[in-house]
Amino acid sequence: MFLEEQTDEKLMAEVAKGDLDLLKVLFERHHVHVFNFLLKMSKDKMLSEDITQDVFYKVMKYRTSYNNGKFVSWIFTIARNSLKSHYTRSAEKHQDLDTVIHFEHDEIEEKNEEHTHLHKALSKLETADRELLILNRFQEIKYAELAEIMGSTPGAIKTRVSRALKKLKTIYFENI
Amino acid sequence: MMNKKHITDLLPEYLDGILTKSQIKNIETHLKDCDSCKEELRQFQVLHTAFDSEKEVLPSEKLKSNFYEALELEKQKNPKVVVMDSQPQARKNAWMPNLLKLAASIALLIGGFALGKYQQEQKMNLEIATLQNESLGIKQMAMLSLMENKSASKRIQGVNYIDEFSAPDEAIVKALADRMLHDENANVRLSAVEALEKFTTSETVKKALIISLKTEKDPGIQIAVIQTLVKIQEKKAVAPMQELLEQEDTQPYVKKHIKTVLPSII
Repeated sequence: MFLEEQTDEKLMAEVAKGDLDLLKVLFERHHVHVFNFLLKMSKDKMLSEDITQDVFYKVMKYRTSYNNGKFVSWIFTIARNSLKSHYTRSAEKHQDLDTVIHFEHDEIEEKNEEHTHLHKALSKLETADRELLILNRFQEIKYAELAEIMGSTPGAIKTRVSRALKKLKTIYFENI
Repeated sequence: MMNKKHITDLLPEYLDGILTKSQIKNIETHLKDCDSCKEELRQFQVLHTAFDSEKEVLPSEKLKSNFYEALELEKQKNPKVVVMDSQPQARKNAWMPNLLKLAASIALLIGGFALGKYQQEQKMNLEIATLQNESLGIKQMAMLSLMENKSASKRIQGVNYIDEFSAPDEAIVKALADRMLHDENANVRLSAVEALEKFTTSETVKKALIISLKTEKDPGIQIAVIQTLVKIQEKKAVAPMQELLEQEDTQPYVKKHIKTVLPSII
């Protein structure tokens, strides 16, 4: 696509003004990342595709409410919320997102032995820690943007990421 | 002995390469004497590599086609009128007020037509035109920057983007001419010739084509340039074409082509 050198924020501002075609550029740039984040969280390819689509629908639909903040933060905020509401909708009996995700997780994991050691270790972390590491390590989202997504400060996020990484390291080497 | 705990905390960032020089120096001095930190570093390194070697999964093509379809639908639902909240404060407002504004603008637009309020209509047209101009400006910027991209395929994309412009301005024409004459990649040069074909009324384009005739060595491009020049009956092209005929390194089939077309131009 075109407009490669434009920042996400500038593009999204134009989309908000009505140039809907520019949303294609943003889609091309981010849909694989959003999809991979969802896939790593849910381990469900179909679901992740559906939610990714939903995320971009929402961006399109609510384009005028874009607040000129970091686009990456915005889109991952939408992705997280969509995933969360999917789980709350689909699991009436599970009050806690944590249990739900873990539950589905383990179920699929048993069937599928080809998961990497890293994934096994990640799945043993608490959801919040796992999510932080997936966003920071796989999607390369910086502390500042993570702080926007989580409603925290970059300093606090940095500490949380560092702690999560240590926990992961321990699990990873325990079971190697 | 330095504080070990302090160092282990910094190790992930050390591996990410996001520490300051002095922090790096501190860590490296510490690592020399501290075996437990060395082991920590080794472990973090293993983890780091594990993260890096994780492959990204691609979603199915359906995702893209579905979204593009939805986008087209949305575009039909929202003709350019939506765009009209060009006042800066409108952007801050939430969805609902915008919806009202949208309704109001549509009502206004219909009212304008119905009552034939000429002035009103004109003002709107002007606003729409301004907005379209704005997005054209961005497209132009995008096209220009794409043409500077390191990757040849991106540059071709940039060149082909000319289709978006009915009347490109001088900067774009010059940039295209520049690609045609100086791009290292023959495919990019050829695309540029094809893009410029549509704008041969411009003096800049004519001049550039003639220069290309003198400098271009790729036979495919030579033929494309010759065809374009013959099509517009550019008399100034005759001399360089004759030169090509005389030059030894001109491909035989290029010479043959020149011989067939030359009579039609003189």
